[in-house]
Amino acid sequence: MLRVMSRRGDDRVTWDEQKVLAGDPEALAAIREAERIFAQERAKGATAFKVETGKPAERIEQFDRTAEQIIMVPRVVGG
Amino acid sequence: MSPAAQVLTALGWIVVALAISPMIWLLLQPYMKSWSRAERRAAGLLHDTLTPEQCQQLVWRGYLEIPSPTEPLRVYRVPRTKGYVQVIENGRAVMRLCLQPIECLPDADLVVLHKLMIEANEEVYLQKANKYLCLD
Repeated sequence: MLRVMSRRGDDRVTWDEQKVLAGDPEALAAIREAERIFAQERAKGATAFKVETGKPAERIEQFDRTAEQIIMVPRVVGG
Repeated sequence: MSPAAQVLTALGWIVVALAISPMIWLLLQPYMKSWSRAERRAAGLLHDTLTPEQCQQLVWRGYLEIPSPTEPLRVYRVPRTKGYVQVIENGRAVMRLCLQPIECLPDADLVVLHKLMIEANEEVYLQKANKYLCLD
């Protein structure tokens, strides 16, 4: 799942990895959409974190379709 | 002005207020709904990201303590609502940090943002934050 933080809370794109591997068109479309959003947010300066149950969060530079959850936070500045 | 006129004037204002209140409600409703939806979604993300103990700490103490991944004696105290993040070293507040996203986020999302950045991106977090030393 890709979760992008915004003023609306978080926008989500979900996909089923098994269906992606099986070539399901809807799952493939969801992955493509998630990749597009990931690239778009990264270009705006957002930081992406891979978050998996029982593991420490990890900053990632590339989209990881196998991730349990990717959370993107907007660019931050000193206040 | 006679008492009767005063009563009529008051009644007139009440009628005007009653007449415009549904319009004001209709105008504000979408904003109120979207805000509460945003808060609900953010609360869901926070709940998914924290352990039950961390949730409890946030509710009862009003802050979340995040141990530094690099400095064993350092803890970051992230408030539940907008505000400074305190840096505690050896049990003493040594610094306050101010860091904010360029986009306005619900309070619960801010807690998740601080947590993720501290745990997985501490160096950049400290580089970007404005620091205010705590002097005794």
